[in-house]
Formats: sequence, C-alpha cells, structure tokens
Amino acid sequence: MKRNAALAALLLGFSVVATSTASFADTSISIAGSTALLPLVKDAAGAYQQAHSDVKISVSGGGSGTGINQVAAKAIDIGDSDITAPTHPELKDNRVAVIGFAIIINPSVTVKNLTKKQLQDIFTAKVTNWNQVGGSDQKIVVINRPRSSGTRAVFTKTIMSGEAVSESGLTEDATGTVVSVVKQTPGAISYAAFSGTHGQGVNEVSIDGVAPTDDNIISGKYPVWSYEHMFTYGPATGEISRFIAFIEGNAELVRKDGFILIRDMKVSETDR
Amino acid sequence: MIAAALPPGEEGLAITAGVRSRKIIDNVATIVLWIMASSIIVMLAAFIAYMVYLGAGAISLSFLFGVPKETTAGGGIGPEIYNSFYILFLTLMFTVPIALSAGVYLQEYARPGLFRNIVQFSAESLATIPSIVMGLFGLLVFVYLFKWKFTALGGALTLTLLNLPALMRVTQEALASIPDTLREASMGLGGTKWQTINRVVLPSAIGRLTTGVVLIAGRIFGETAALIFTAGLSVPFNNPYDLNPMRPAETLAVHLWYTHSESIVPDVDRIGNGSALVLLVMVLLFNLVARFAGSRLTRHFTGRNS
Amino acid sequence: MIALEARRSRRTERFALSMLRLAAGSVIFAMAALLFYLLFEGTKTFYVDKFPVWEFLFSPTFSVDDNHPGAAVFIVGTLSVTIFAIVIGGPFGIAVGIFLSEIAPHRMTQILKPAIEVMVGIPSVVYGWLGLTLLVPLIRTHTSSPSGFGLAAAGIVLAIMILPTVITLSEDAFRSLPPAIKEGSLALGATRWQTITRVLLPSASSGLAVALILGIARAIGETLAIQMVIGNATQFASGLFAPTAALTTEIVTDMPGATEGSLLEHALFSMALLLLLIAMVLIVCVRFALRKRA
Repeated sequence: MKRNAALAALLLGFSVVATSTASFADTSISIAGSTALLPLVKDAAGAYQQAHSDVKISVSGGGSGTGINQVAAKAIDIGDSDITAPTHPELKDNRVAVIGFAIIINPSVTVKNLTKKQLQDIFTAKVTNWNQVGGSDQKIVVINRPRSSGTRAVFTKTIMSGEAVSESGLTEDATGTVVSVVKQTPGAISYAAFSGTHGQGVNEVSIDGVAPTDDNIISGKYPVWSYEHMFTYGPATGEISRFIAFIEGNAELVRKDGFILIRDMKVSETDR
Repeated sequence: MIAAALPPGEEGLAITAGVRSRKIIDNVATIVLWIMASSIIVMLAAFIAYMVYLGAGAISLSFLFGVPKETTAGGGIGPEIYNSFYILFLTLMFTVPIALSAGVYLQEYARPGLFRNIVQFSAESLATIPSIVMGLFGLLVFVYLFKWKFTALGGALTLTLLNLPALMRVTQEALASIPDTLREASMGLGGTKWQTINRVVLPSAIGRLTTGVVLIAGRIFGETAALIFTAGLSVPFNNPYDLNPMRPAETLAVHLWYTHSESIVPDVDRIGNGSALVLLVMVLLFNLVARFAGSRLTRHFTGRNS
Repeated sequence: MIALEARRSRRTERFALSMLRLAAGSVIFAMAALLFYLLFEGTKTFYVDKFPVWEFLFSPTFSVDDNHPGAAVFIVGTLSVTIFAIVIGGPFGIAVGIFLSEIAPHRMTQILKPAIEVMVGIPSVVYGWLGLTLLVPLIRTHTSSPSGFGLAAAGIVLAIMILPTVITLSEDAFRSLPPAIKEGSLALGATRWQTITRVLLPSASSGLAVALILGIARAIGETLAIQMVIGNATQFASGLFAPTAALTTEIVTDMPGATEGSLLEHALFSMALLLLLIAMVLIVCVRFALRKRA
C-alpha cells in the first residue's frame, strides 16, 4: 500500500514538471533595480503585457546596485539604475528617461530652503540641530540609503562634492521606505526621487533658492537629477529591446509617473 | 536576626518567625513566577488581538486571491500564498525522504563510531547556521554557480538544507519512543531489520512523525531570509499560478518583508497588516493540524493514544 | 521458496541500508560544501584584497570607498543586541521554566505550553512587523529617540523571540533532575522556593547553560526581525535607544547591491564566515556543558 502511494506521488511529481513545460514557450523578461524607476517600469510592464499576452514580465526593486549586479551576473534580463556603470563595460546602457531627486523633510520642520553648504554640513553630521540652519530647536535625524543605492550616489555626486555621507544616520532600503520614515519621524531629512516624493506628504526643500520642479531640471538650474538607465547584458534584442523602446517612447506614462522625457532636456551630462 | 531581638528563652518563637519569613519569601516568589508566566500568555493574546485588529480590515476575497499591485492601491496576495505552499511542497518533497532516511539510519542502524559522530556533528552544525548564511550559500550555488537565476527550486533546495537537522531530530525522537519490545516481537516472527523498521516501527511512530513534519512545515511557511536571495522578490506577471519550478517565486513571508522595505503603494500598511495576519493564521492552523493529525494517526496505527 | 524469499529480503536489506547510509552521507556532504564555499569566498577579503584579519575584526571604520572594511561596528552591534536580549530573556525564560516544571498546575500547563509552541511558530518577519508597528512608535513617543529605531527595539524583539527556546530547555533541565534531591530538601524543612534556589538551580546549572547558549545562538543568527527595527546605521550605538547595525542586518542590507568580486561582497562573505564560526563555537560549548552534566 505504501509502495503504491509512493509511486503515485512520483507520477504526480512528474506530471507537475511536465505540464509546467507549457509555460517555457512564453517569452519572459525579468527586471530589477532602482526603486526610483520602479513605478514607471511597473506601469509600463502592465500596459505592455496587456497588449502582448505571450510576454511575462516580472519587476522588483532592490536598488540600482542590485540591478547592475544581477544583470551583470545574468540573473535578470534588465537592470534598472539611476547611475552609470563604468566598471561594467559588458553592459549596454539604454537611457529611458530623466528623474529629479528632492531633499525631503518631515512636515514638522519649518525650513523651506537650504544652501548646498548647509546640506553638506547636515549630511556629514557637522550640523545636528535644525536651529543651526534656521529652524526650531529640533534634532536632525539623517536617513540614508544603502551604499549601493543609485539615489545616494547621485546625491553624493551633485551635492556632497564627492565628500562621503556620514554613516551615523538610519539606513532604509528603498525610495518608498525612506519617504514613509521621513513622514513619521520628527526632524527627519533624506533624499529621494520625485517619482516617490511628489504628493506623498513630505516637504521638499529648495536648494540655494531653486525649487525642485521639472522645469528647473530641464533648464539645468536644479542640480540633483540623473538619467534612468536600463542595462542589458550586451545590446538589447528581441522582446527586451521592444519593451525598452516602449518605455522610452511612452510620453504619457513617463510624465504621469513624475519623470521627464530625455528629448525635453535643455542640458545634458555624460557621467550620469 | 529576629532571634537577637527576643528575650532569652524565646528561641522557639525565633524559629517560627524564621519559618514565617521564609514562607513569605516563598509565597512572594510564587506570585512573581505566576505573574511572569501569565504575562507570556497575556502578551501572546495581545499580539494576536492587535494583529487581528490591524489586519482584519484588509482581508477580503480580492485580497486573498488577487494579484499584487506595485504602484496603485488595491493589490492582493494570491500568488504569494500560492508560492508559499508551492515552495513548501517542493521543500518537503526533498526534506522528508532524506531526513527520514538519515534519522532512521542514525537511530536504528549506526554503530557508535566515526561516521556516526560526523553525521551527528554535521547535523548539529547545520542546525545552528543562521538562515541568512544559508541563503547566501544558496545564492552562491544555485543563482551564480548553476546559473539558475531566481527559482522556486533553488529556494526549496536551500530550505531543505535548513530544515534537514530539525526533521532528523524529530525522526530520531519518534523512533526512540517506540519500545524495543515491538522490534523484538517483529524479529522474533522472522522479520529482517528493514522489514521491522518499514512495517512495524515506522507505522507506530507515524503520529509523532506527522506532528513533527507539520510543525516544521509551519516554520518553512514563514521562512524569509533564506529565500530572499534564492527565490527572489517577484511573481511572474502573466501567469502567477505557474507550476514551473524554475522561475522566481516570492512567498507571503518574503512579501511582508518586501512590502515594509520597498513598497511604494499608498496602502502599504493595509497590505502589510493583512499579510502579517494571514501568516499568523496559517501558523496557528499548522499548529492545530499538527496536534490533531498526530493524535489521530497514532490512534489509527497503534490503537493507543500517544 | 523460502530460500528465494530470504535472498530477496537480504538484497532489499542491503539496498535499504545503502540508501539510508547515502542519506546520512549527504548531510555530511552538505555541511562540508557549505563550510568549503564560505571559507573560500569569505577569506578572499584577506588573501585577494589583502585586508588584514586583525583590522577586519577590530577596526572601527567601515568604508568601502577607502578599501577599509573594518567590521568591528557590526560585531559590537551583534554582541550588544544579543547581550540585551539574553539579559532580559534569559532570567525571564529560566523563571518560567522553573514555573512550568515545579509550580504550574496541570490546567495552567495546558494553556501555557501550547502558547509557547505558537510563539515558536510565529515567523520572524511577523515579529519584525510587530516591532515596527507596535514597539517603534512606542519608543519614539516615550523616549528621547526621535525615530524609535535602535538597539532597544531590536533587543526587546529578540528577547521575546528567544523566550520559547530558553523556557523549553530550562524546563527540560529541571524535569530531568532526579526527584530524590527535591524530596530530600523538602523533607529537611526547606520551603519550595529555598529548594529551587539552593538545590535545584545549582544541580540544573549545566542544562540551564545549554538553554542560555542556544538562546544566544538563536539571537546571533536572527536577521530580518532586527533589520526591520534596528535602524541600520553603521555606527556604534551611542545609547540604549540609538540606531546601530549587526552582522546579519548588514549582510541583508548590502548584499543585494554588492557587485560580484568587489571588496564589499568579499567583506560581507567574511562576515557570514564569522557568523558560521561563532555558531560552531557555540555548538562545542553546548557539547562541553552536556558532558559536564554526565
């Protein structure tokens, strides 16, 4: 009796694997990486799969570093990133949009503008209280992203002038978590992409008098922005290249999710 | 001390007084311990009540069976629940045969010696390894070395490694609880050692074995750290209820962590609370089934109650 | 006929035995593979990147850009959170273990033991989630900590998580004592509490040591529950409620973004190797404590 049960289980196992081969025929695209780009890729994936029912796209976050890492290891098909990958010449860079990054603060903080120098002092822990930069007597709580974050890299490059951010702040994994922690923690300050901050209940600070708006980025007045890269291992081909082209050309989706079309930019940079 | 304050000749009173202070300490200590033990029950009840309060609002058919949405509200956890069971099934498919065999070997066959010691030591070491380290090992082997990318199978194999020692211990204890008289009777009737084990000892132990397996299944259901790096953080979009083991498979537990850590949907709290509640309910169910099935099977196979 | 049967069953016997031996052997193989791989990957920091072991263990600066991944911050983080947990959870767990084995009436045991089993079954993410939604806001509003994340939150969550382990093992330790010593003490006129503290506790000390060591092992290996509440700040905890990081939380925070072959990846694997070595040392300690009992 037991032997029959074992044989039945074996047969069931075989049939499970056999029927699953049916799904091998579909094209599947796996994407991971930047949580700043995530909303756009998710929305685009949904729209694309509705139009092409034989394509399976799975998207997740993990940060720009994760995206680059995994596509270089060929564990995924497309790696999303807010930054370039100069150490990986084998990856092909496909730029799809432009994104701005805002300095966000908890609504309890009354400061509306910070100079670049003040930002540097705050994030290197030289300034620790809001009353040192025009606010009330409140401890500054710095929130960082992990070392591999593209958002953090953009921030370090454009605001910190290469100086390292102090490690004494909290670290949160993703754009979404940073925004929600800043919202809950009195005195908090951090940096995150427009796609995650606009309309989310946190205050965005002007830098040197320049407000964080798309127009200021297009004209080049606001410094904290970057291209969104979708890296592929070697040139993108087939369905993957079609999907990337779909995102880049979809003006409506790009603008709706808080991004800027590359062709709208009046300035350009080579190292972002 | 009290005796020193009393007039001489009253030592009898001192002893009684000493006894009384000891009794007071004894009573106080007993009360304190009662409070401590009860606080655990109260704390657990409070946790469960709190999670039900937070999460009950999220539970609906569309939540339990719907697909997750990453940028808009209204997502569900259907595929994640499916993946949790799928990976559980896969893991048990590997763990049960290996752990059972190894456990039977150690308990019934192995003679004290080098081989036996090394196996025991390996099992104990495997048991103490943090699940995150196991996850890294899975990443190294299945994702990088075998180039499988993120797969349900890779996750299941990693979980197998993680749970082998526990199931081996369950097997050994279950076998040890079977009295030798049963084995001797079987051999006396002419059965070989394997026949004895296969047809007499194992069926007798099946109650305790089942309890152990179901409890371990509950642990597998809630496992996260080992799966993040092996089974991935996503669900195939178009066919979330896929039977293919070679694709990424985010489980409910992983989804809870991912939701806290990355999600940008506006109702992240709702999804998190709902997922936590579902996980809790599943664990309680596994616990209940473990006890119930265990005692039922024991009665069925042995006619006894434990 | 009987001879044929006998020969078949002998063959089955041998086959069964070799299958069982194979399973047992695969356990050894799995452990060996793990050890080998982690040693291989985890020592690359030292012989490929040429970063000295001494600095890895004791340097307080963790900076990948400067090629200086000193893991002391995380080691101290792991230690502090573990000590916090065992200081709270250890005595509490042993006390409840005493209660279960010596004082609790049957009805109480019938409620308490299933409750403890349920606690064991609760996944660590759920404990982390509880910590996040319940404990962190509490700490935020009632102490000087502005965010609520930190050492205390992680320590408390961890203490609750190791309670079941310590309780069950302590109870076992007391139950396995020969009843004669308890009866002897009571017969001499000692109260129950005196018996417990002066006779039973010392006798069960090696079993209790095992309970504590395994509780510590559980605490050291816990990842996700603490990662959700500890704040993940690469700094030594400046106070009981300040954010910090541990070996396990650092691995899960930075590993996804670490490029294969980079210094960061090697350093993280070295941390994993360190955790493995600590786990093995704890096993040896447990065996030692058990031998003392016998």
